[in-house]
Amino acid sequence: MTALESTSPSLAATSPAFTFSASTFQKLHPTEFFRKFASQGVRPDGRLLNAFRPTTVHYGVITTANGSAMVRIGGTTVVCGVKAEVAEPKLHTPDHGYFVPNVDLSPICSGAFRPGPPSAQAQVVSESIDRVLKESKVLDLKDLCIEEGKAVWALWVDVVCVSYDGNIYDAALTAVMAALANVRIRKPTYDEGVVKVSGAEDMNDDNSFKLKLARTPLSATFALFDTSLTVLADPNDSEESICDGSISVTLDEHGQLCAVSKVGAGSSSQSLLKQCIDRTRERATELRAIMSQQQQ
Amino acid sequence: MSRVELLTPEGLRIDGRRPAELRKITSTTSVLSQADGSAYLEHGNTKVLAAVYGPREARRRAQVLHDRAILNVEFNVAPFSTGERRRRTKNDKRLLEMASFVKQTFEPVVITSLYARSQIDIYLQIIQHDGGTLQACINAATMALIDAGIAMTEYVCACTAGWVESEAAIDLNHIEESSDTSEVTIAMLPKSGKITLMQMESRLHVDKLEEVFTLAGEGCKQIHEVIDKTIRERAEDLAKKMQ
Repeated sequence: MTALESTSPSLAATSPAFTFSASTFQKLHPTEFFRKFASQGVRPDGRLLNAFRPTTVHYGVITTANGSAMVRIGGTTVVCGVKAEVAEPKLHTPDHGYFVPNVDLSPICSGAFRPGPPSAQAQVVSESIDRVLKESKVLDLKDLCIEEGKAVWALWVDVVCVSYDGNIYDAALTAVMAALANVRIRKPTYDEGVVKVSGAEDMNDDNSFKLKLARTPLSATFALFDTSLTVLADPNDSEESICDGSISVTLDEHGQLCAVSKVGAGSSSQSLLKQCIDRTRERATELRAIMSQQQQ
Repeated sequence: MSRVELLTPEGLRIDGRRPAELRKITSTTSVLSQADGSAYLEHGNTKVLAAVYGPREARRRAQVLHDRAILNVEFNVAPFSTGERRRRTKNDKRLLEMASFVKQTFEPVVITSLYARSQIDIYLQIIQHDGGTLQACINAATMALIDAGIAMTEYVCACTAGWVESEAAIDLNHIEESSDTSEVTIAMLPKSGKITLMQMESRLHVDKLEEVFTLAGEGCKQIHEVIDKTIRERAEDLAKKMQ
C-alpha cells in the first residue's frame, strides 16, 4: 500500500512509474485518499468534518398528490408525494386510519442500483421512517377516521429518490415530514355506506383539512471512518462506501430523541454519541429554519 | 357520469388552448449528477425525468452483441403521479409496452455500432402525469441521450394528436385522453421527416387520420425547435465554462 502512495516524495523521485494523478489515486485507494484529507480536517468536497451539505426544501411540487415536497441535500434529491385514499379500517383498530411510507431507490438515481424488486437498503429506510412516525406518534390516527369501522383515510407516503449521493435517510425523513405538513385532504361525507368526496371546486379551509402533526422529527446522520476515530456529518456516496458504520440521530422540535441508530463495524462510545446528538440538535434547528422559511 | 364538454362553443379546449396549440414545454438537461446524461421535461403538467447511463459494460454477458450496443429502457411511474394512486405492480404490461416503444424508437437513431459490446441504459421516471406520457418520455430520452454525448443520427421528437369532438387537436391532456377520444402518437425525425413510431389504439375514421397525422407532425417540428434551443443553450454554456 505505502509503495503506491503518490504523495511520498522520496518514492516519486526514485521511481517515476509510481506517480499518478490525484484522481487515479482516488480510484485505486479511495480509503487512503480520504485519510489524507481527513488528517487535515477537511473532506475531498471541501467541507469540514462536521459540516452538512447545502439543503433546500420545496413544498407542493406535485399537483396530483395531496401533499408533496422535494428535498435536496447536496447531490441527493428526493421527492415525496402523499396520496390519501378512502379505505377500510383494520379490524383491531376500527377508528384509526393508517399510513404506509415507502422509499423507492430506482436505478435512475445512481449507477449502483439495479432494476428489480426494492433493495434491502430501500426497505430499511422505509421501515425506519415508518417506525419513527409510529413510535413518536407524529399523527393522531383517529384524525384519519371517516366513519368508525367503515371507512378511514389511508395515506400513501411515497418517496422517490431522483438523485442519490449518500445520506438517503435524512433526505427521505425530511421530505416525508415536509410533505405531511403540506397535505390537504377534502372533507368527506359518509352516508349509509357511501363515502362522498367532492372534487370540483378549489380547496379551502371550509371543504378540506390539513393534518395535525404532533411533532416533526428530523434526523442527522454521521459516518464513522477509521473505526470511529473520525466522524463525518452527512456522508456523501463515496464517503459512505469507505466508512465502517454510521450513527443516525432523530430529534423532535422539543429536543427529545425520537430514534437513535448505530449500524456497522465502527465502534462508538458514549461521549461520541453525545457529540453526535449535540451536533444533531444544531442541524435540526437549521433544517427547521429552512423548512419554515419555504413554507411561507 | 355526465359527458365532459371538451370544446367550448368558441372552439377552445378544456384548459383554454386552441386545438393546434401545444402545452407549455419546460426543459433542462444535466439535472442529475450521478447519471452520464439526464434531462427534465415538462409538457404542461406532465413531468418526466430521464437518465442515461452508459455506454457501460453489459450487465448480463449473454445479452452482449459483438457489433453494437444494446439499448435498455426502464420505465417507472411514481406512485403519486396519477390521480388514483398506482398499486405497485411489478412487470406491469402497460409499462413494459411503453418501455419497448421507446426502445424501438431509439434503436434506429442511436448509432449503436459505435459502442460494440456495451449497454446503454435509459431510465424514465414519470413524476407527474397529465396525458401524453409516451411523447414526453421520448422527448426527454432524446435530450438525455444528447446530454450523455451518445451519437445519434438525428433528434427524435414525439407528439400526440387526437380527434376531440369535431376537430383535430394536438398534445392531449389527461382529461381529453381519458374521455373516449382517439389519440395518435408519432415520433418523428424532424430534419428528414421520417417517422420512427406511430401508435394509435382507438377507433378513428380513416378520412380524419391524415388531418390528425399532419397536426402531430407539425407538433413534432415545434417541439424540436424548443428542445433544440435548450440543447444549444446548454452546449454554449458548457463551451463558455471550458474556455
